[in-house]
Amino acid sequence: MKGVAGTILWADMTNRGIEKKPIDEELVKKYLLGAGFLSKVIYDMVPPGTDPLSSENVLGIATGLLTASMFPQASRHVVAALSPLTDVWGESHAAGFWGPELKFAGYDAVMFTGASEKPLYLNIADDNVELLDAEGLWGKDVFETDDILRERHGKECRTLAIGQAGENLVRFAAIMNDRDRASARSGLGAVMGSKKIKAICVRGTGKIEVADEKNYLSHMDEFYRRMLANPFTPGRAKYGTTSLVELMQHIGRLPSYNMKQGVFEGYEKISGDAINAQYFVKPRADFSCLQRCARYTKVSSGPYAYEGGAPEFETQSSMGSRCGSDNLESVLYGHHLSNQYGMDTISLGGTISWAMECWDEGLITAEDTGGLELNWGNHEVIVKLTKMIAAREGFGDLLAEGSFRAAQKIGRGTEKFVMHVKKQEFAGQEPRAQKSMGLAAATAARGADHLYAFPVLDEAGFDEDIKKRFGEEYLPEMADRLNPTYKGIMVKECEDYMVMIESVGLCKYGTQIPPEFFYDDIALTLKIHNGLDLTRDDLQLIGERIVNLNRLFNVRLGISRKDDQIPKRLTDEPAPLGPPKGQVVELNQMLDEYYEQRGWDLETGLPFMETIRRVGLEEEAKGIALPQ
Amino acid sequence: MSELKFVFGDPDTCTGCMICVNVCSMYYFKVISPARSKVRVIRIEPGLDFPLFCRNCEDAPCINACPEKALSRTSKGIVIVNNRKCVGNGACVIACPYNAITINPDTGKAIKCIQCGQCVKRCPVDAIWTTTEEGLKKKDSDGRLARIYDEQKSELYNKEASK
Repeated sequence: MKGVAGTILWADMTNRGIEKKPIDEELVKKYLLGAGFLSKVIYDMVPPGTDPLSSENVLGIATGLLTASMFPQASRHVVAALSPLTDVWGESHAAGFWGPELKFAGYDAVMFTGASEKPLYLNIADDNVELLDAEGLWGKDVFETDDILRERHGKECRTLAIGQAGENLVRFAAIMNDRDRASARSGLGAVMGSKKIKAICVRGTGKIEVADEKNYLSHMDEFYRRMLANPFTPGRAKYGTTSLVELMQHIGRLPSYNMKQGVFEGYEKISGDAINAQYFVKPRADFSCLQRCARYTKVSSGPYAYEGGAPEFETQSSMGSRCGSDNLESVLYGHHLSNQYGMDTISLGGTISWAMECWDEGLITAEDTGGLELNWGNHEVIVKLTKMIAAREGFGDLLAEGSFRAAQKIGRGTEKFVMHVKKQEFAGQEPRAQKSMGLAAATAARGADHLYAFPVLDEAGFDEDIKKRFGEEYLPEMADRLNPTYKGIMVKECEDYMVMIESVGLCKYGTQIPPEFFYDDIALTLKIHNGLDLTRDDLQLIGERIVNLNRLFNVRLGISRKDDQIPKRLTDEPAPLGPPKGQVVELNQMLDEYYEQRGWDLETGLPFMETIRRVGLEEEAKGIALPQ
Repeated sequence: MSELKFVFGDPDTCTGCMICVNVCSMYYFKVISPARSKVRVIRIEPGLDFPLFCRNCEDAPCINACPEKALSRTSKGIVIVNNRKCVGNGACVIACPYNAITINPDTGKAIKCIQCGQCVKRCPVDAIWTTTEEGLKKKDSDGRLARIYDEQKSELYNKEASK
């Protein structure tokens, strides 16, 4: 097959063995690469009853079919394993240069089995692949690890690594690459830590051959023209995602005070304009990216001085408004620290804001925190806790378990303030202001999450795109973010599309927001890049198959409709302030519509056998009691 | 000889996306491969991304270094490699002060930028342009670019690091 490296690396951490296996083209036809490939391989290898932090778990890192292609934003890789945070399907994605470099070295994915007793790192220099001693690296942060490895193996190497948080098995530890790119959700950094894999250093001098050499560049020219002409692109270049603070405040969707409300009085101080006014240095891009939403920033002096990657909207929300903090320098610095230690800022801010609300309610006291005062907006404590969580020190040791487990340990009614689905903290979408986001969080395979479906078409006037993608009959309801009608249809379709996008290694920017590229563009690119003849219907079915397989993975672990639930605060307590004032999330109504669309049983949320047959998963479903 | 043209980039504007690198390897060799591209992009913190090309030196040490006389300057002032003569001995690679010549691992021949402009027209942020020594001096009247390049020269042109 063209457009891929053609080889999967298997690293047996227990026996320190490396094996190279050719890519299974039949599997690719059924699941593509990236997220789909990992979904299948890990489903087959990780049975129920596996401890996520044991040697039995399998950690996979895979590029997509179009990673290292010339398509706009083709830089991405996916990591997956059984999650130590949710105890169900764990998956996370990142941009950067590491994924393309892996392809240039000759590999489409790296799979880790077993666990080592002592720290090791994988060094890949084209054909030469070795597991090397990481004694001198263990204990180092992500930036130090990058410095040391590139000094040792060559400045042009690309690194992927865990920091102290992953080593210390923080349940929301990230896997970092290219210093400040994060596969953060699902806590897969802890899986990497449990296997004692410190890093993967890659240098590749190979090449990617494409199927249609003759017309390749002219097709890309047209894709580039469209991407640059899209009205979203200039704003993306100017702000990245940072200006979403202003937009979300405007629609009342900015989680504040542990999601008590969706508006924050100090929003201007943590906004995209505030970052641009004082701290912005330049926009940055990843491999083949025209959107350039990465930011390089600098705080020149004071306790929060640093230089490097800037937060996205998610961190402005999670370490800012979510914790009631309008201290921008602490948000920027807290984000920097999270990259350095390798942690998910969403779960981090979600966990700290849970503790802050419990403090506010008098359920957590100085006795629990070792004297730290968790008042809303106490930025010094937010930064301090960031360090303590990564190091598992004092109260940080409890919070390193994530808000769900921390509340289980403490009890005293703190459980009701945990803003989670399937034990994972909510991202920065207050769903009472955008109903589709509530449903998306409830159904996402990896727990509370906006990206599995990324249903943004009702966010900001994409009526025309809804018309194009779904049909005029769904307007105006589907485009109305406060109306639950048709959101089940939208979330289902978006999930199928987005898991397909994660399987080809493209970014959600350009394919979903702005919705410039769609199935036909992907099908065309798979044709000219990989030589695959897949229609829009084929790709939709593949997406649906992957979502159903992720569901089976979770069903096997006991997940059903009872777990597709969001906190009572969001379904029962009307939003107190701002544009969504008085709104609740009509989750059950949307769930019914969603299950119906999926061909899943309304009562249990389990796929009907008929659905499983239709998407071609009979083999996989053997032994699972599914409704007929 | 001040008319000699070369492609140059602004490391403050360049985002590091490597589209120029990909365009080059695709245009000339029909593959995507930084190792087969005539342009390199190097990211150096704090916040710099350098797209690096042949500087079309007036004294062109690459031409003089080649024992096979495979490199020559055309009437338009472009230094080209004659593939029939090139045996890939790498003398030009060693002679180039800008580390702008490499040996294509597939063909075994030297490859270098010939200022074709394919990447320039596709840079999404207009960070690269074709210029001359004089043109660059005019554009860089405050010496910002000269200073940044000079400060980072040991890393930019270090041949060991780019192995």
